[in-house]
Amino acid sequence: MLTFIAFAFGGGILVGLSRQINGRLSLSTGPLVSSFWNHFVGFVALTAVALAFGGLFPKGEPIDWPWLAFVGGPLGVIFVASSSWLISRLGAAQTAVLVIAGQMLSSVIMDIITGAPGSPYARIAGVALILGGILVGRKRKA
Amino acid sequence: MTQPPERPAILFFAALGTGGLLTLMTYFNGQLAAAASALFSSLSAHGTGAIAAILMLVAIPAFRRRPAGASKAPLWAYLGGISGALTVILTSTAVNSALALSGTLALGLAGQMVFGLTADKFGLFGLPRKSPAWKDLAGIALIVAGSLLIIFYGRGA
Repeated sequence: MLTFIAFAFGGGILVGLSRQINGRLSLSTGPLVSSFWNHFVGFVALTAVALAFGGLFPKGEPIDWPWLAFVGGPLGVIFVASSSWLISRLGAAQTAVLVIAGQMLSSVIMDIITGAPGSPYARIAGVALILGGILVGRKRKA
Repeated sequence: MTQPPERPAILFFAALGTGGLLTLMTYFNGQLAAAASALFSSLSAHGTGAIAAILMLVAIPAFRRRPAGASKAPLWAYLGGISGALTVILTSTAVNSALALSGTLALGLAGQMVFGLTADKFGLFGLPRKSPAWKDLAGIALIVAGSLLIIFYGRGA
C-alpha cells in the first residue's frame, strides 16, 4: 500500500517537476516550442517503455476507438504551453493551485452535465471554498 | 491599494481555463485508455500532440519566435517530457490500487503543492524565486480543502 501512496504522491511531484522544467525551456524557446519538445520527448520515452515492457498494441480493435479520444493530445499541447507561460509569471505554487482550482470547478460542471453521482452539498461547499480561496489569493490589499 | 502589475486578473482566468483544459484532456484520454490501455492512451496523446504542435508552429510564425534576450536553454530543459511520461505510469498504477481515483487525485494534489512551494522557495530549475504572502498560503489552503471535499464526496466513484 505504501508503494501505491508513494506512486500517487510521486505522480504529483513529477507533474510539478515537468511544469518547472518546461517552464525553464519556455524562457529560452517560447511556450509552444517548449510544449512541442515535451510531447516529442515524452512520445519517445513512452515508446521505449512500451517496446521494453509490452503494452504498445492495445487490446481493442482500432475501429472501436472513439475518435474523440484523439482530441486529448492537441488539447495537451495548449495545456503545457499555457502552463509554461503561467509558471514564470505566477510562480509554481500559484500556477499549480489555480490550475487545480480550474480543474475542480470544471469537473463539477462536467459531472452535473453528465449526471455523475456525488453529493450536491459536498460540491456546493467545495466550490464555495475554492472560489473563496481564489478571492483571498487574488486580493492584494495589505 | 492597486494590484501589482505582475499579477493581473488575466493570469488568474488563464490558469483556471488551463485547469478546464485538463478536465477535457482527462475525459478524452480516459476514453481511449478504457478502449485501449493507459500506456497506449498516453503514447497517442503525446504523438498527436507533437504533430499538432508542429502544425501550429508552421501555421503561426509568431509562435516560433524566441523571447527577446533569451539565453540558450540547458540540455536538461528539453527533458520535461520524460517526467511527464513517468507520471502516466505511476498514476495509472496507483489508480488501479486500493487508492482508486480519489486517493490518487488527492495525493497527487499534495505532491504538486509540496513541489510547487519548494520550487518557489529555492527557485528550482532556473525559474525565479517567490516567497508566498500569508494571503497566498491561506488561499492555497482553502482551494486544497475545497478540492479534497469534491474529490472524496462530490464524485461518484
